[in-house]
Amino acid sequence: MQLLASFDWSFIWENRGEFESGLRKTLEVSLLAIAGAFLVGLFLGAARAHRVPVVSWLAAIYVEVIRNTPILVQAFFIFFGLPQITSIFGHFHFHILLSPFTAAWLTLVIWGGAFNTENFRAGFEAVPQRYREAALALGFTRLKTFFNITLPIGGRIALPSSINTYVSVLKNSALVGPAISFPELTYQAYSLESVSFKAPEIYFALALIYLTVVWMLSALIRLLEARLALPEARRVRVRQQQLREVV
Amino acid sequence: MPLADWPPWAGPVSHFILHEGLPLTAKIAAASVVGSAAVGIVLGTLLTIDFLPVRALIRLYIEVWRGLPLIVTLFIVFFALPGLPLHLRFTQWVAAAISLTLWGSAQVAEATRGAVESIPREQHEAASALGFGWVGRHAYVILPQASRRLLPPLVSLLVNVIQNTTLAALIGAIELLGAAQSQVNRLSGPPPAGLVEIHAFEIYGGVMILFFVISFPLTRLAAFLERRLI
Repeated sequence: MQLLASFDWSFIWENRGEFESGLRKTLEVSLLAIAGAFLVGLFLGAARAHRVPVVSWLAAIYVEVIRNTPILVQAFFIFFGLPQITSIFGHFHFHILLSPFTAAWLTLVIWGGAFNTENFRAGFEAVPQRYREAALALGFTRLKTFFNITLPIGGRIALPSSINTYVSVLKNSALVGPAISFPELTYQAYSLESVSFKAPEIYFALALIYLTVVWMLSALIRLLEARLALPEARRVRVRQQQLREVV
Repeated sequence: MPLADWPPWAGPVSHFILHEGLPLTAKIAAASVVGSAAVGIVLGTLLTIDFLPVRALIRLYIEVWRGLPLIVTLFIVFFALPGLPLHLRFTQWVAAAISLTLWGSAQVAEATRGAVESIPREQHEAASALGFGWVGRHAYVILPQASRRLLPPLVSLLVNVIQNTTLAALIGAIELLGAAQSQVNRLSGPPPAGLVEIHAFEIYGGVMILFFVISFPLTRLAAFLERRLI
């Protein structure tokens, strides 16, 4: 406590603008990336669970490559490597010059999408086969079966693990920022430190901000989970209700 | 493209990455996994005792290090600790190993708690009846049985730790990614050291392949162990 009192807190307060703009960028890029990862996971997870030829195999390769390589290397490859394709295939003139924001967002979507594909695949595969068969027997088209049966039930089974992925996406934005000079929260703190040398104060404040955001998010998630969870008892009720509706 | 067609710069670059970068990555990863397992198993076992203050403290430790992005932990260890009264100053790889151990031990502690709690009550009672104290009971009876459940998460942790060693590149360590970065920068510079050419695509792509070749068998092993042991 004595230690905390010895910190120069007024410095942090004077530079709160840097932290604010950093936090805003962190939340912006994370929210966009989470939305993207949700869509990628939903689409490819459905393709994996239904064993759609070609798409399913490509998705499997994509998932394994992303899960087995560090996100930092992926970010470097996307931000520094991709623009170079222009010179490798020199005859075509197109440019893949990414702004730091786009590169950060793209890296996080690609990373989160791979993990989410697995989450959704597991969720969809956990839906009992007989539900789908019943729907098909009742004349639902395959698409309607997916949207009315597999998605509502499987999506909720996949919810806890996919939410974990979203929290990881937010935490990984802290990694991607300093790597490709995208001024989100961690990079802002880092550049503030490199001009002021007030490392203890800055990084203590930074840790406090991240813990507040992550813990608040976790608490919110637990509430949401309790609300949307699909316990065994409720699963039976859902089934009976669906049967009733159909009859 | 046959091997003979590789451009002349590829030889020295891959030699540098494999002989300078790879050993340091291995060193950081090995130290972190051993440290995480040692600290995490002790904390996880203590998490099962009935004394609330101890449990609360360990819980706080777990939630803090799991909640913080790893890079923030690394910046705290590497940049903030030297400014505090104790003046703890670490070289890059030690700072990376310490951060990874803080994070990894939190993961292991959580897994250990689950594994220890999965051992039936009777095992504790039988061990007590044979005259074991708390330490002996856990060291000789409970943990050996719990280790079966602990092995798959430890292998997954190894994969995660290997991948996260790349963070050390951000504080200037010459591990795999840092070595690759220095080579990309060298080649982009003027002769005699460089070629004024950018080869980020090939070099970072190569590093990605290298990480995949290391990690993929380990992920498979973790999945296999999970099926066999749990």
